[in-house]
Amino acid sequence: MRRPLILLAVVGVLVAAGCGSSDDEPGEASGGAQQVKVGIIPILDVAPIYLGKEKGFFTSRNIELTLESGQGGAAIVPGVVSGQFQFGFSNVTSLLIAQSRGLPLKVVSNGVASTGKDKADFGGVVTRDDSIKTAADLAGKRVAVNTLKNIGDSTIRASVRKAGGDPSSIKFVELAFPDMPAALQADRVDAIWVVEPFLSTSLGEGGRLVASNYVDTAPDLTVAVYFTSEQLTKDDPDLVKRFTEAMTESLAYAESHPDEARQVLTTYTQIDEAVIQELTLPKWPPEINRESVETLATLAVQDGLVTEQPDLAALLP
Amino acid sequence: MRAGRSRRLLGLAGLLGFLALLEVVPRVGLVPERYLPPASRIAGALADELRQPSFWVALGDTLEGWAIGLAIAFAGGIGLGLLLGSIPALRAVTSSTIEFLRPIPSVALIPLAVLLFGTDLRSKLLLVVYASFWQVLIQVLSGVQDVDPVAMDTAHSYRLGRWSRVRHVVWPTTLPYAVTGFRLAAAVALVLAVTAELIIGSPGLGKEIAVAQTSGAVPAMYALVVVAGLLGVGVNLLARTVERRVLAWHPSVRRDAAA
Repeated sequence: MRRPLILLAVVGVLVAAGCGSSDDEPGEASGGAQQVKVGIIPILDVAPIYLGKEKGFFTSRNIELTLESGQGGAAIVPGVVSGQFQFGFSNVTSLLIAQSRGLPLKVVSNGVASTGKDKADFGGVVTRDDSIKTAADLAGKRVAVNTLKNIGDSTIRASVRKAGGDPSSIKFVELAFPDMPAALQADRVDAIWVVEPFLSTSLGEGGRLVASNYVDTAPDLTVAVYFTSEQLTKDDPDLVKRFTEAMTESLAYAESHPDEARQVLTTYTQIDEAVIQELTLPKWPPEINRESVETLATLAVQDGLVTEQPDLAALLP
Repeated sequence: MRAGRSRRLLGLAGLLGFLALLEVVPRVGLVPERYLPPASRIAGALADELRQPSFWVALGDTLEGWAIGLAIAFAGGIGLGLLLGSIPALRAVTSSTIEFLRPIPSVALIPLAVLLFGTDLRSKLLLVVYASFWQVLIQVLSGVQDVDPVAMDTAHSYRLGRWSRVRHVVWPTTLPYAVTGFRLAAAVALVLAVTAELIIGSPGLGKEIAVAQTSGAVPAMYALVVVAGLLGVGVNLLARTVERRVLAWHPSVRRDAAA
Protein backbone atom coordinates (compact mmCIF):
# COMPACT_ATOMS: atom_id res chain seq x y z
CA MET A 1 0.00 0.00 0.00
CA ARG A 2 3.03 2.27 0.46
CA ARG A 3 4.03 2.45 -3.19
CA PRO A 4 0.87 3.96 -4.64
CA LEU A 5 1.03 6.71 -2.07
CA ILE A 6 4.65 7.42 -2.97
CA LEU A 7 3.62 7.55 -6.61
CA LEU A 8 0.92 10.06 -5.81
CA ALA A 9 3.37 12.15 -3.83
CA VAL A 10 5.79 12.19 -6.77
CA VAL A 11 3.00 13.25 -9.11
CA GLY A 12 2.04 16.00 -6.68
CA VAL A 13 5.58 17.34 -6.61
CA LEU A 14 5.75 17.24 -10.41
CA VAL A 15 2.52 19.19 -10.66
CA ALA A 16 3.78 21.79 -8.23
CA ALA A 17 7.04 22.08 -10.17
CA GLY A 18 5.09 22.38 -13.39
CA CYS A 19 2.97 25.22 -12.10
CA GLY A 20 6.08 26.97 -10.87
CA SER A 21 7.99 26.84 -14.11
CA SER A 22 5.13 27.85 -16.36
CA ASP A 23 4.39 30.89 -14.26
CA ASP A 24 7.17 33.14 -15.47
CA GLU A 25 5.31 35.52 -17.76
CA PRO A 26 7.37 37.03 -20.57
CA GLY A 27 6.25 40.41 -19.34
CA GLU A 28 8.23 43.53 -18.63
CA ALA A 29 11.87 44.37 -18.56
CA SER A 30 14.52 42.01 -17.36
CA GLY A 31 17.43 44.37 -16.97
CA GLY A 32 15.78 47.32 -18.69
CA ALA A 33 15.21 45.99 -22.22
CA GLN A 34 11.62 45.51 -23.28
CA GLN A 35 10.68 41.89 -24.00
CA VAL A 36 9.13 41.61 -27.45
CA LYS A 37 7.81 38.46 -29.11
CA VAL A 38 7.42 38.28 -32.86
CA GLY A 39 5.47 35.49 -34.57
CA ILE A 40 7.22 34.39 -37.76
CA ILE A 41 7.50 31.43 -40.13
CA PRO A 42 10.97 29.83 -40.33
CA ILE A 43 11.46 30.51 -44.06
CA LEU A 44 13.98 32.62 -45.94
CA ASP A 45 11.64 35.64 -46.12
CA VAL A 46 12.37 36.50 -42.50
CA ALA A 47 16.17 36.44 -42.76
CA PRO A 48 16.38 40.23 -42.10
CA ILE A 49 14.83 40.02 -38.64
CA TYR A 50 17.24 37.24 -37.63
CA LEU A 51 20.12 39.24 -39.10
CA GLY A 52 18.95 42.42 -37.39
CA LYS A 53 18.73 40.58 -34.08
CA GLU A 54 22.24 39.23 -34.57
CA LYS A 55 23.55 42.70 -35.46
CA GLY A 56 21.99 44.28 -32.39
CA PHE A 57 19.60 46.59 -34.28
CA PHE A 58 16.88 45.71 -31.79
CA THR A 59 18.86 45.73 -28.55
CA SER A 60 20.24 49.16 -29.46
CA ARG A 61 16.60 50.31 -29.40
CA ASN A 62 15.98 48.66 -26.06
CA ILE A 63 14.10 45.71 -27.59
CA GLU A 64 14.86 42.17 -26.40
CA LEU A 65 13.58 40.13 -29.34
CA THR A 66 12.17 36.61 -29.13
CA LEU A 67 11.26 35.02 -32.45
CA GLU A 68 8.44 32.50 -32.23
CA SER A 69 8.20 30.34 -35.30
CA GLY A 70 5.26 28.18 -36.19
CA GLN A 71 4.71 26.11 -39.29
CA GLY A 72 2.46 27.86 -41.79
CA GLY A 73 1.94 30.66 -39.35
CA ALA A 74 -1.44 29.41 -38.11
CA ALA A 75 -0.65 30.90 -34.74
CA ILE A 76 0.56 34.29 -35.86
CA VAL A 77 -2.57 36.41 -36.43
CA PRO A 78 -4.47 35.06 -33.38
CA GLY A 79 -1.24 35.41 -31.38
CA VAL A 80 -0.91 39.08 -32.28
CA VAL A 81 -4.60 39.86 -31.78
CA SER A 82 -4.57 38.29 -28.31
CA GLY A 83 -1.35 40.07 -27.37
CA GLN A 84 0.74 36.89 -27.02
CA PHE A 85 3.00 38.32 -29.73
CA GLN A 86 3.62 42.03 -30.05
CA PHE A 87 4.33 41.72 -33.77
CA GLY A 88 3.82 39.19 -36.52
CA PHE A 89 4.87 38.40 -40.07
CA SER A 90 2.22 37.74 -42.69
CA ASN A 91 1.62 38.01 -46.40
CA VAL A 92 -0.38 41.02 -47.54
CA THR A 93 -3.40 39.10 -48.84
CA SER A 94 -3.86 37.27 -45.52
CA LEU A 95 -3.87 40.61 -43.74
CA LEU A 96 -6.41 42.06 -46.17
CA ILE A 97 -8.65 39.06 -45.46
CA ALA A 98 -8.10 39.37 -41.70
CA GLN A 99 -8.95 43.07 -41.83
CA SER A 100 -12.13 42.39 -43.82
CA ARG A 101 -13.20 40.05 -41.00
CA GLY A 102 -12.89 42.86 -38.53
CA LEU A 103 -9.55 42.01 -36.93
CA PRO A 104 -7.92 45.25 -35.80
CA LEU A 105 -4.46 44.97 -37.36
CA LYS A 106 -1.91 47.57 -38.37
CA VAL A 107 1.09 47.12 -40.67
CA VAL A 108 4.31 48.47 -39.12
CA SER A 109 7.04 47.58 -41.57
CA ASN A 110 7.80 46.03 -44.90
CA GLY A 111 8.58 42.31 -44.81
CA VAL A 112 9.64 40.88 -48.12
CA ALA A 113 9.22 41.82 -51.78
CA SER A 114 9.47 40.21 -55.18
CA THR A 115 12.76 40.70 -57.03
CA GLY A 116 10.74 42.22 -59.87
CA LYS A 117 12.73 40.20 -62.41
CA ASP A 118 10.76 37.87 -64.64
CA LYS A 119 11.89 34.20 -64.33
CA ALA A 120 14.34 35.27 -61.63
CA ASP A 121 12.08 35.69 -58.61
CA PHE A 122 12.14 33.75 -55.33
CA GLY A 123 8.85 32.10 -56.24
CA GLY A 124 7.11 30.99 -59.39
CA VAL A 125 4.97 28.46 -61.21
CA VAL A 126 6.82 25.29 -62.26
CA THR A 127 5.59 22.54 -64.56
CA ARG A 128 6.74 19.37 -66.32
CA ASP A 129 3.84 19.40 -68.76
CA ASP A 130 5.06 20.20 -72.27
CA SER A 131 1.66 21.58 -73.29
CA ILE A 132 2.09 24.43 -70.78
CA LYS A 133 4.25 27.00 -72.57
CA THR A 134 3.10 30.24 -70.96
CA ALA A 135 0.94 31.26 -68.01
CA ALA A 136 -2.08 31.37 -70.36
CA ASP A 137 -1.80 27.59 -70.83
CA LEU A 138 -2.48 27.04 -67.11
CA ALA A 139 -6.20 27.44 -67.90
CA GLY A 140 -7.99 24.18 -67.14
CA LYS A 141 -4.93 22.68 -65.40
CA ARG A 142 -4.42 21.49 -61.84
CA VAL A 143 -2.16 23.98 -60.07
CA ALA A 144 -0.91 23.47 -56.51
CA VAL A 145 -0.82 26.42 -54.09
CA ASN A 146 0.09 26.33 -50.40
CA THR A 147 -3.19 27.95 -49.26
CA LEU A 148 -6.39 28.27 -51.25
CA LYS A 149 -7.98 31.71 -51.54
CA ASN A 150 -4.81 33.54 -50.72
CA ILE A 151 -1.88 35.33 -52.30
CA GLY A 152 -0.81 32.31 -54.38
CA ASP A 153 -3.96 31.67 -56.41
CA SER A 154 -4.75 35.41 -56.50
CA THR A 155 -1.43 36.33 -58.14
CA ILE A 156 -1.45 33.26 -60.41
CA ARG A 157 -4.83 34.38 -61.77
CA ALA A 158 -3.31 37.82 -62.39
CA SER A 159 -0.43 36.18 -64.21
CA VAL A 160 -2.77 34.11 -66.40
CA ARG A 161 -4.93 37.14 -67.21
CA LYS A 162 -1.83 39.13 -68.19
CA ALA A 163 -0.80 36.34 -70.56
CA GLY A 164 -4.26 36.42 -72.12
CA GLY A 165 -5.62 33.22 -70.57
CA ASP A 166 -8.82 32.46 -68.70
CA PRO A 167 -8.03 31.98 -65.01
CA SER A 168 -11.55 30.87 -64.08
CA SER A 169 -10.98 27.29 -65.28
CA ILE A 170 -7.80 26.66 -63.25
CA LYS A 171 -8.24 23.91 -60.68
CA PHE A 172 -6.29 24.99 -57.62
CA VAL A 173 -5.16 22.25 -55.26
CA GLU A 174 -3.94 22.90 -51.74
CA LEU A 175 -0.56 21.35 -50.91
CA ALA A 176 2.21 22.30 -48.48
CA PHE A 177 5.29 23.73 -50.23
CA PRO A 178 7.54 20.85 -49.09
CA ASP A 179 5.17 18.32 -50.69
CA MET A 180 4.87 20.09 -54.03
CA PRO A 181 8.01 18.94 -55.87
CA ALA A 182 7.07 15.31 -55.14
CA ALA A 183 3.48 15.90 -56.28
CA LEU A 184 4.76 17.35 -59.55
CA GLN A 185 7.10 14.40 -60.07
CA ALA A 186 4.22 12.01 -59.53
CA ASP A 187 1.99 13.99 -61.95
CA ARG A 188 -0.62 14.45 -59.25
CA VAL A 189 -0.78 18.10 -60.36
CA ASP A 190 0.10 19.79 -63.65
CA ALA A 191 1.93 22.74 -62.17
CA ILE A 192 3.06 23.92 -58.75
CA TRP A 193 3.52 27.35 -57.27
CA VAL A 194 6.63 27.15 -55.13
CA VAL A 195 8.97 29.51 -53.33
CA GLU A 196 12.60 28.97 -52.44
CA PRO A 197 14.17 26.57 -51.50
CA PHE A 198 11.57 24.33 -53.18
CA LEU A 199 11.75 26.37 -56.39
CA SER A 200 15.40 25.39 -56.78
CA THR A 201 14.57 21.80 -55.84
CA SER A 202 11.86 21.38 -58.44
CA LEU A 203 13.84 23.15 -61.17
CA GLY A 204 16.74 20.81 -60.40
CA GLU A 205 14.42 17.83 -60.93
CA GLY A 206 13.46 18.69 -64.48
CA GLY A 207 10.80 21.28 -63.72
CA ARG A 208 10.38 24.28 -65.98
CA LEU A 209 9.52 27.79 -64.81
CA VAL A 210 6.49 29.07 -66.74
CA ALA A 211 5.53 32.18 -64.82
CA SER A 212 6.80 34.54 -62.16
CA ASN A 213 3.39 35.31 -60.73
CA TYR A 214 4.58 38.00 -58.29
CA VAL A 215 6.38 39.83 -61.10
CA ASP A 216 3.35 39.58 -63.39
CA THR A 217 1.06 40.99 -60.70
CA ALA A 218 2.84 44.29 -60.02
CA PRO A 219 6.32 45.73 -60.36
CA ASP A 220 8.34 45.11 -57.16
CA LEU A 221 5.35 43.57 -55.41
CA THR A 222 5.32 43.81 -51.62
CA VAL A 223 4.61 40.19 -50.68
CA ALA A 224 4.60 40.19 -46.89
CA VAL A 225 4.86 42.68 -44.05
CA TYR A 226 5.27 42.90 -40.29
CA PHE A 227 2.17 43.95 -38.39
CA THR A 228 0.82 44.53 -34.92
CA SER A 229 -2.57 44.97 -33.25
CA GLU A 230 -4.29 48.35 -33.21
CA GLN A 231 -4.31 47.98 -29.44
CA LEU A 232 -0.52 48.07 -29.24
CA THR A 233 -0.29 51.11 -31.51
CA LYS A 234 -2.42 52.94 -28.92
CA ASP A 235 -0.92 51.41 -25.76
CA ASP A 236 2.74 51.66 -26.68
CA PRO A 237 3.29 53.81 -29.78
CA ASP A 238 6.92 54.27 -28.77
CA LEU A 239 7.60 50.51 -28.95
CA VAL A 240 5.95 50.33 -32.37
CA LYS A 241 8.10 53.23 -33.57
CA ARG A 242 11.31 51.62 -32.28
CA PHE A 243 10.38 48.25 -33.80
CA THR A 244 9.69 49.87 -37.17
CA GLU A 245 13.03 51.66 -37.06
CA ALA A 246 14.89 48.49 -36.14
CA MET A 247 13.07 46.55 -38.86
CA THR A 248 13.85 49.21 -41.46
CA GLU A 249 17.52 49.08 -40.54
CA SER A 250 17.46 45.24 -40.64
CA LEU A 251 15.82 45.17 -44.08
CA ALA A 252 18.31 47.67 -45.49
CA TYR A 253 21.20 45.70 -44.02
CA ALA A 254 19.97 42.36 -45.39
CA GLU A 255 19.38 43.96 -48.78
CA SER A 256 22.93 45.31 -48.96
CA HIS A 257 24.59 42.22 -47.42
CA PRO A 258 23.12 39.21 -49.27
CA ASP A 259 26.01 36.96 -48.20
CA GLU A 260 25.26 37.58 -44.55
CA ALA A 261 21.57 37.02 -45.26
CA ARG A 262 22.44 33.62 -46.77
CA GLN A 263 24.66 32.90 -43.77
CA VAL A 264 21.91 33.65 -41.24
CA LEU A 265 19.66 31.10 -42.98
CA THR A 266 21.90 28.36 -41.60
CA THR A 267 21.05 29.45 -38.06
CA TYR A 268 17.27 29.03 -38.17
CA THR A 269 16.51 26.74 -41.11
CA GLN A 270 17.90 23.36 -42.09
CA ILE A 271 18.21 24.24 -45.76
CA ASP A 272 21.16 22.44 -47.34
CA GLU A 273 24.30 24.63 -47.49
CA ALA A 274 24.71 24.08 -51.23
CA VAL A 275 21.10 25.07 -51.87
CA ILE A 276 21.51 28.20 -49.72
CA GLN A 277 24.34 29.42 -51.94
CA GLU A 278 22.32 28.80 -55.12
CA LEU A 279 18.82 29.93 -54.28
CA THR A 280 17.31 33.23 -55.41
CA LEU A 281 16.96 35.63 -52.52
CA PRO A 282 13.91 37.91 -52.41
CA LYS A 283 14.22 41.70 -52.14
CA TRP A 284 14.05 43.38 -48.77
CA PRO A 285 13.34 47.04 -49.53
CA PRO A 286 12.80 49.10 -46.35
CA GLU A 287 9.70 50.77 -47.80
CA ILE A 288 6.33 49.18 -48.54
CA ASN A 289 5.30 49.50 -52.18
CA ARG A 290 1.81 50.95 -51.61
CA GLU A 291 0.80 50.73 -55.24
CA SER A 292 1.43 46.99 -55.25
CA VAL A 293 -0.60 46.57 -52.07
CA GLU A 294 -3.45 48.40 -53.81
CA THR A 295 -3.14 45.93 -56.68
CA LEU A 296 -3.37 42.99 -54.25
CA ALA A 297 -6.42 44.60 -52.63
CA THR A 298 -8.11 45.00 -56.03
CA LEU A 299 -7.31 41.37 -56.88
CA ALA A 300 -8.67 40.23 -53.52
CA VAL A 301 -11.97 41.91 -54.32
CA GLN A 302 -11.98 40.61 -57.89
CA ASP A 303 -11.32 37.01 -56.76
CA GLY A 304 -13.93 37.24 -54.03
CA LEU A 305 -11.45 36.80 -51.15
CA VAL A 306 -12.98 39.89 -49.53
CA THR A 307 -16.39 41.36 -50.16
CA GLU A 308 -15.60 45.07 -50.17
CA GLN A 309 -12.62 47.24 -51.10
CA PRO A 310 -10.19 47.01 -48.13
CA ASP A 311 -9.46 50.16 -46.15
CA LEU A 312 -5.76 50.49 -46.89
CA ALA A 313 -5.44 53.80 -45.06
CA ALA A 314 -6.38 52.00 -41.84
CA LEU A 315 -4.17 48.99 -42.49
CA LEU A 316 -0.97 50.57 -43.78
CA PRO A 317 1.18 52.90 -41.69
CA MET B 1 11.92 -16.85 -19.53
CA ARG B 2 12.71 -18.70 -22.74
CA ALA B 3 9.35 -17.66 -24.25
CA GLY B 4 10.17 -14.04 -23.39
CA ARG B 5 13.55 -14.22 -25.09
CA SER B 6 12.25 -15.74 -28.31
CA ARG B 7 9.52 -13.12 -28.44
CA ARG B 8 12.12 -10.41 -28.08
CA LEU B 9 14.15 -12.01 -30.87
CA LEU B 10 11.11 -12.09 -33.11
CA GLY B 11 10.45 -8.43 -32.35
CA LEU B 12 14.04 -7.58 -33.24
CA ALA B 13 13.77 -9.57 -36.47
CA GLY B 14 10.62 -7.63 -37.37
CA LEU B 15 12.42 -4.34 -36.78
CA LEU B 16 15.44 -5.39 -38.86
CA GLY B 17 13.12 -6.51 -41.63
CA PHE B 18 11.43 -3.14 -41.59
CA LEU B 19 14.78 -1.33 -41.74
CA ALA B 20 15.88 -3.53 -44.64
CA LEU B 21 12.67 -2.73 -46.48
CA LEU B 22 13.21 0.98 -45.82
CA GLU B 23 16.72 0.65 -47.25
CA VAL B 24 15.70 -1.28 -50.36
CA VAL B 25 12.49 0.46 -51.42
CA PRO B 26 14.12 3.86 -52.16
CA ARG B 27 17.31 2.22 -53.53
CA VAL B 28 15.47 0.29 -56.23
CA GLY B 29 13.46 3.40 -57.07
CA LEU B 30 9.99 2.29 -55.95
CA VAL B 31 9.83 5.62 -54.12
CA PRO B 32 12.09 8.54 -55.16
CA GLU B 33 15.13 8.69 -52.86
CA ARG B 34 14.71 12.43 -52.45
CA TYR B 35 11.38 12.04 -50.71
CA LEU B 36 12.03 8.83 -48.79
CA PRO B 37 15.75 8.47 -48.14
CA PRO B 38 17.03 4.94 -47.46
CA ALA B 39 17.46 3.90 -43.82
CA SER B 40 21.23 4.38 -43.96
CA ARG B 41 20.90 8.05 -44.96
CA ILE B 42 18.33 8.63 -42.24
CA ALA B 43 20.76 7.06 -39.78
CA GLY B 44 23.47 9.42 -41.02
CA ALA B 45 21.19 12.43 -40.55
CA LEU B 46 20.30 11.13 -37.09
CA ALA B 47 23.99 10.98 -36.17
CA ASP B 48 24.31 14.62 -37.32
CA GLU B 49 21.34 15.62 -35.18
CA LEU B 50 22.74 13.90 -32.10
CA ARG B 51 25.82 16.10 -32.33
CA GLN B 52 23.83 19.34 -32.20
CA PRO B 53 23.08 20.93 -28.83
CA SER B 54 19.81 22.32 -30.23
CA PHE B 55 18.58 18.74 -30.72
CA TRP B 56 19.06 17.90 -27.07
CA VAL B 57 17.35 21.12 -26.00
CA ALA B 58 14.40 20.21 -28.23
CA LEU B 59 14.29 16.68 -26.83
CA GLY B 60 14.32 18.12 -23.31
CA ASP B 61 11.47 20.51 -24.19
CA THR B 62 9.36 17.67 -25.53
CA LEU B 63 9.99 15.49 -22.48
CA GLU B 64 9.29 18.39 -20.14
CA GLY B 65 5.92 19.08 -21.77
CA TRP B 66 5.12 15.38 -21.76
CA ALA B 67 6.04 14.82 -18.11
CA ILE B 68 4.32 17.89 -16.69
CA GLY B 69 1.21 17.38 -18.82
CA LEU B 70 1.00 13.71 -17.92
CA ALA B 71 1.48 14.44 -14.22
CA ILE B 72 -1.30 17.03 -14.20
CA ALA B 73 -3.65 14.76 -16.17
CA PHE B 74 -2.88 11.77 -13.97
CA ALA B 75 -3.32 13.60 -10.68
CA GLY B 76 -6.45 15.36 -11.92
CA GLY B 77 -7.92 12.19 -13.40
CA ILE B 78 -7.43 10.22 -10.21
CA GLY B 79 -8.67 12.97 -7.93
CA LEU B 80 -11.77 13.72 -9.95
CA GLY B 81 -12.36 10.06 -10.77
CA LEU B 82 -12.39 9.02 -7.14
CA LEU B 83 -14.62 11.94 -6.22
CA LEU B 84 -17.15 11.44 -9.00
CA GLY B 85 -17.06 7.67 -8.67
CA SER B 86 -17.73 7.66 -4.94
CA ILE B 87 -20.76 9.96 -5.13
CA PRO B 88 -23.39 8.38 -7.42
CA ALA B 89 -25.41 11.60 -7.75
CA LEU B 90 -22.35 13.53 -8.90
CA ARG B 91 -21.48 10.76 -11.32
CA ALA B 92 -25.00 10.89 -12.82
CA VAL B 93 -24.90 14.66 -13.17
CA THR B 94 -21.52 14.71 -14.91
CA SER B 95 -21.63 11.59 -17.06
CA SER B 96 -23.28 13.18 -20.10
CA THR B 97 -20.95 16.19 -19.92
CA ILE B 98 -17.95 13.87 -19.79
CA GLU B 99 -19.24 11.89 -22.74
CA PHE B 100 -19.69 15.18 -24.60
CA LEU B 101 -16.24 16.58 -23.83
CA ARG B 102 -14.24 13.38 -24.13
CA PRO B 103 -14.46 12.82 -27.90
CA ILE B 104 -13.47 16.42 -28.73
CA PRO B 105 -10.06 16.01 -30.36
CA SER B 106 -7.40 17.91 -28.48
CA VAL B 107 -6.12 19.23 -31.81
CA ALA B 108 -9.39 21.13 -32.24
CA LEU B 109 -8.36 23.19 -29.22
CA ILE B 110 -5.26 24.55 -30.97
CA PRO B 111 -6.82 27.93 -31.87
CA LEU B 112 -7.98 28.32 -28.27
CA ALA B 113 -4.57 27.34 -26.93
CA VAL B 114 -2.87 29.89 -29.17
CA LEU B 115 -5.29 32.65 -28.19
CA LEU B 116 -4.77 31.96 -24.50
CA PHE B 117 -1.09 31.14 -24.33
CA GLY B 118 0.63 31.83 -27.66
CA THR B 119 3.28 29.31 -28.53
CA ASP B 120 4.80 28.68 -25.12
CA LEU B 121 4.75 25.62 -22.90
CA ARG B 122 1.25 26.27 -21.58
CA SER B 123 -0.27 25.82 -25.06
CA LYS B 124 1.36 22.43 -25.29
CA LEU B 125 0.21 21.54 -21.78
CA LEU B 126 -3.38 22.44 -22.60
CA LEU B 127 -3.42 19.94 -25.47
CA VAL B 128 -1.50 17.26 -23.61
CA VAL B 129 -3.57 17.50 -20.43
CA TYR B 130 -6.87 17.62 -22.29
CA ALA B 131 -6.10 14.51 -24.31
CA SER B 132 -4.57 12.39 -21.57
CA PHE B 133 -6.86 13.45 -18.71
CA TRP B 134 -9.85 11.52 -20.09
CA GLN B 135 -7.83 8.34 -20.45
CA VAL B 136 -7.13 8.40 -16.73
CA LEU B 137 -10.54 9.65 -15.64
CA ILE B 138 -12.52 7.03 -17.55
CA GLN B 139 -10.32 4.23 -16.23
CA VAL B 140 -10.59 5.45 -12.64
CA LEU B 141 -14.37 5.78 -12.94
CA SER B 142 -14.65 2.19 -14.16
CA GLY B 143 -12.30 1.12 -11.39
CA VAL B 144 -14.43 2.73 -8.71
CA GLN B 145 -17.50 1.07 -10.18
CA ASP B 146 -15.78 -2.29 -10.04
CA VAL B 147 -15.46 -2.17 -6.24
CA ASP B 148 -16.93 -5.32 -4.71
CA PRO B 149 -20.21 -4.32 -2.97
CA VAL B 150 -19.69 -7.01 -0.34
CA ALA B 151 -16.31 -5.57 0.54
CA MET B 152 -17.88 -2.13 0.71
CA ASP B 153 -20.68 -3.40 2.97
CA THR B 154 -18.13 -5.09 5.17
CA ALA B 155 -16.20 -1.86 5.46
CA HIS B 156 -19.42 -0.10 6.42
CA SER B 157 -20.18 -2.76 9.05
CA TYR B 158 -16.75 -2.24 10.52
CA ARG B 159 -17.57 1.46 10.65
CA LEU B 160 -14.64 2.49 8.48
CA GLY B 161 -14.62 6.22 7.81
CA ARG B 162 -14.89 7.67 4.31
CA TRP B 163 -11.14 8.11 3.98
CA SER B 164 -10.40 4.59 5.21
CA ARG B 165 -12.94 3.12 2.81
CA VAL B 166 -11.30 4.94 -0.08
CA ARG B 167 -7.85 3.94 1.07
CA HIS B 168 -8.49 0.26 1.89
CA VAL B 169 -11.38 -0.74 -0.38
CA VAL B 170 -11.80 1.61 -3.31
CA TRP B 171 -8.15 2.38 -3.99
CA PRO B 172 -6.85 -1.23 -4.27
CA THR B 173 -9.60 -2.02 -6.77
CA THR B 174 -9.08 1.19 -8.72
CA LEU B 175 -5.30 1.07 -8.84
CA PRO B 176 -4.97 -1.43 -11.73
CA TYR B 177 -7.41 0.68 -13.73
CA ALA B 178 -5.53 3.87 -12.88
CA VAL B 179 -2.27 2.28 -13.98
CA THR B 180 -3.84 1.23 -17.27
CA GLY B 181 -5.03 4.81 -17.61
CA PHE B 182 -1.49 5.97 -16.93
CA ARG B 183 -0.11 3.73 -19.66
CA LEU B 184 -2.67 4.95 -22.21
CA ALA B 185 -2.24 8.56 -21.13
CA ALA B 186 1.56 8.35 -21.36
CA ALA B 187 1.40 7.46 -25.04
CA VAL B 188 -1.35 9.96 -25.86
CA ALA B 189 0.52 12.72 -24.01
CA LEU B 190 3.61 12.14 -26.15
CA VAL B 191 1.61 12.23 -29.37
CA LEU B 192 -0.03 15.50 -28.37
CA ALA B 193 3.21 17.08 -27.16
CA VAL B 194 4.80 16.48 -30.57
CA THR B 195 1.63 17.57 -32.39
CA ALA B 196 1.51 20.83 -30.45
CA GLU B 197 5.12 21.53 -31.36
CA LEU B 198 4.54 20.62 -34.99
CA ILE B 199 1.46 22.78 -35.48
CA ILE B 200 1.66 25.57 -32.93
CA GLY B 201 5.43 25.82 -32.99
CA SER B 202 6.03 25.34 -29.28
CA PRO B 203 9.70 24.50 -28.75
CA GLY B 204 10.51 20.78 -29.02
CA LEU B 205 11.07 17.89 -31.40
CA GLY B 206 7.89 18.61 -33.37
CA LYS B 207 9.04 22.14 -34.12
CA GLU B 208 12.40 20.80 -35.30
CA ILE B 209 10.51 18.40 -37.59
CA ALA B 210 8.53 21.35 -38.98
CA VAL B 211 11.69 23.40 -39.55
CA ALA B 212 13.39 20.49 -41.32
CA GLN B 213 10.29 20.05 -43.46
CA THR B 214 9.98 23.72 -44.46
CA SER B 215 13.70 23.67 -45.26
CA GLY B 216 13.41 20.65 -47.54
CA ALA B 217 15.86 18.76 -45.30
CA VAL B 218 14.19 15.39 -45.86
CA PRO B 219 16.70 13.01 -44.19
CA ALA B 220 16.88 15.25 -41.11
CA MET B 221 13.10 15.31 -40.95
CA TYR B 222 12.88 11.51 -41.01
CA ALA B 223 15.68 11.29 -38.47
CA LEU B 224 13.62 13.43 -36.09
CA VAL B 225 10.52 11.37 -36.82
CA VAL B 226 12.52 8.27 -35.89
CA VAL B 227 13.49 9.95 -32.61
CA ALA B 228 9.82 10.64 -31.91
CA GLY B 229 9.10 6.95 -32.58
CA LEU B 230 11.88 5.80 -30.29
CA LEU B 231 10.57 8.14 -27.63
CA GLY B 232 7.21 6.40 -27.98
CA VAL B 233 8.84 3.01 -27.45
CA GLY B 234 10.68 4.37 -24.43
CA VAL B 235 7.50 5.81 -22.93
CA ASN B 236 5.71 2.51 -23.39
CA LEU B 237 8.54 0.55 -21.75
CA LEU B 238 8.54 3.00 -18.86
CA ALA B 239 4.79 2.72 -18.42
CA ARG B 240 5.00 -1.08 -18.41
CA THR B 241 7.77 -1.01 -15.84
CA VAL B 242 5.69 1.25 -13.63
CA GLU B 243 2.75 -1.10 -14.11
CA ARG B 244 4.79 -4.15 -13.06
CA ARG B 245 6.25 -2.40 -10.03
CA VAL B 246 3.07 -0.83 -8.76
CA LEU B 247 0.90 -3.87 -9.36
CA ALA B 248 3.42 -6.50 -8.23
CA TRP B 249 0.80 -7.77 -5.77
CA HIS B 250 -1.98 -7.96 -8.34
CA PRO B 251 -3.03 -11.38 -9.73
CA SER B 252 -2.71 -10.21 -13.37
CA VAL B 253 0.94 -9.28 -12.93
CA ARG B 254 1.74 -12.24 -10.66
CA ARG B 255 0.36 -14.58 -13.29
CA ASP B 256 2.55 -12.90 -15.92
CA ALA B 257 5.63 -13.39 -13.81
CA ALA B 258 4.83 -17.04 -13.14
CA ALA B 259 4.24 -17.92 -16.79
